[in-house]
Amino acid sequence: MSLFAFLTTQSLNALSQAALLFFLGVGLTLIFGIMRIVNFAHGTLYMLGAFVGYSVARSTGSFWPALLLAPLAVGVVGVLFELVILRRLYRREASAFLMVTFGLALVLGEIVRLTWGPEALQVEPPQAFAGIVFLAGEPFPTYRLFLVAAGIIIAVAIWQLLDRTRLGLIIRAASQNPEMVSALGIDVNLVRSMVFGIGCSLAGIGGVLAAPLVTASVGMAARMIIDAFVIVIIGGMGSFLGSLIAALLIAFTQVFGEYYLPDFALAFMYLLMLLVLVIRPGGLLGKEA
Amino acid sequence: MTKFRGITRRTVTRSAIAGIALAAAPRWPRPAVAADVIKIGMPLALTGPLGSVGQQLKRGGELWAKTQNASGGLIGRQIQLLIEDTGGNPADAVRKAQEMVERDGCNIFTGITLSSEALAVVPKLEEWKAIFISSDNGDGRLTAESFVPNFFRSNISAPMGARAVSLFLRESEWQNVYAIGMDYAWGRNSVQVFESEMKRANKNFIGSVFSPIGTKDFSTYITKIRQSGAEAVYITMAGDDYNAFLAQAAQYRLPEKVQLLSEVVDLTVPRAVGDAALGLISSMRYCFRLDNPKNKEFVALWQKEYDTVPDNNEGEQWQALKMLAAGIEKAGSTETGSLRSALETTAIDDIKGHVGMRKCDHQAVQNGYMVKLAKGEGFSYPVPQIIATYPGEKTTPACNKMTFED
Repeated sequence: MSLFAFLTTQSLNALSQAALLFFLGVGLTLIFGIMRIVNFAHGTLYMLGAFVGYSVARSTGSFWPALLLAPLAVGVVGVLFELVILRRLYRREASAFLMVTFGLALVLGEIVRLTWGPEALQVEPPQAFAGIVFLAGEPFPTYRLFLVAAGIIIAVAIWQLLDRTRLGLIIRAASQNPEMVSALGIDVNLVRSMVFGIGCSLAGIGGVLAAPLVTASVGMAARMIIDAFVIVIIGGMGSFLGSLIAALLIAFTQVFGEYYLPDFALAFMYLLMLLVLVIRPGGLLGKEA
Repeated sequence: MTKFRGITRRTVTRSAIAGIALAAAPRWPRPAVAADVIKIGMPLALTGPLGSVGQQLKRGGELWAKTQNASGGLIGRQIQLLIEDTGGNPADAVRKAQEMVERDGCNIFTGITLSSEALAVVPKLEEWKAIFISSDNGDGRLTAESFVPNFFRSNISAPMGARAVSLFLRESEWQNVYAIGMDYAWGRNSVQVFESEMKRANKNFIGSVFSPIGTKDFSTYITKIRQSGAEAVYITMAGDDYNAFLAQAAQYRLPEKVQLLSEVVDLTVPRAVGDAALGLISSMRYCFRLDNPKNKEFVALWQKEYDTVPDNNEGEQWQALKMLAAGIEKAGSTETGSLRSALETTAIDDIKGHVGMRKCDHQAVQNGYMVKLAKGEGFSYPVPQIIATYPGEKTTPACNKMTFED
């Protein structure tokens, strides 16, 4: 394998991993940035996305409906949870949210286990992206290229939503001063429900897109939640751009670190987090420095 | 303190001292155990990356207990399984097992799932006066340097699995081999044994790499295997990690270039990754396809109960409990000392044919099996076909050893 081929495939590996990490982290950071809620159920919602994706893909015989319906279903679960439970707690302190989202994680985790069983389930990549392409003579799965493209599309979409639309303006305003926004005649509760729903459905997208790589399994939730928090902490709590940069940083460190120093594979992500926290205690783009 | 006027500093001190004295007492008085129930402790990793293995052990244990109880129990007593989840965490495994000893008066354990958990539990067995019969732990040290007299291993160990793969490789044309393992006790031990096997077989062992438990992206490891120039790669993985590795390896078309061989494979793996497992060659500790009457009976019983065929660890758990039952019947009691003496010379003819416990290091001697995953009639996923069987004398290391001489 030539150096060029090596660098190309490894960089694309890192980019595809970054895309998956980004889907995982961005919903969590969005919810935190706007609602000040640390959503412990995020990993479980990610897992739910993978399992719903499995069922939809299996019954329709295609991946595409799964990619549409799984995030929608997870988003609906998020909105219902916000309406029924979170809404009653906004006057409480932050620890109440920790407890209640942790509770949601436990309950949803058991529901998934009872519904789909304890065994890992296969989700095949979409037919159109099941093959390989040769990059500098090395085979590379097209599905990973698709992940990179999906990552870019979703990042741009969120950025456009937050920065260029009226809804985005209201969301940003509500995060800074909910009383003022409310006084201007905007239903802040509705904004919160929407944000929580969007954040959850982003976790759902992440789950269904990761499933062809890691299968849908009940172990997913626990494995993902730590990564999600590391991304949010490195990027800065609540920073959309921060989570994007953090996902890229982690993925590149992980992919090249595993290659050159495989014995430290487990440590890279945490070392990176440590380094960032020492230099910028609020995270790369966090506000509280 | 006005509210609690009755409590003085002295009474507090006194009760604290009493508490400490109680806690420090050598052993809590054991709760009275109903003499007619045999309690078997199963602190299992039901969740976590190896949760699928723990779930198999649970099913294997439950069907055995149900069957045994329906036929009148064991030495006239009913069996009760104590099942708890450890999450695959060694500290939790020790804690849950200790609770079973102290709270339930349990003195028999099986099904402890990860080798790292088993290695944490065995040093406590003497203090607990408890027997632990492994149905699943691979790490060779358990019957070598970490061996304790109250430990028995009914299952095929990692060195025995690695040995079967290497006997198979000796007869193959593949010269250059590489290895990848999960980065914990079992993976490291298995790869170490395999490496020494390959060197003695005059194969070119190129190198090895270990992935942390819970790795999700295997692209770099796949690149490493591809770059190594190996014709065959030896894999020691299980659970979610193995599924992710195989799914991704197939996406990179790795099996077209490199033959994948593994120390052990469960049916949960081809069920989770489908065709990505096609062509995989592996040693298997138990395979439902074994051709003998006892096994056919077992498979039929299993299908009736669970509507599927028994998996690798399900068969191993069944065998371990059959071995235990034979030992208890021989001893005529579950008292730790007499059960230990009886188990040392117990042999059974069951689902894997003749399996005999070895007195010197408490390892059960049994055949080794190699399988290849291929499409099978009546199955929606690739199923194992037995392609080689090696006698126990060839696959079991010498007493208290985990490497081989020839």
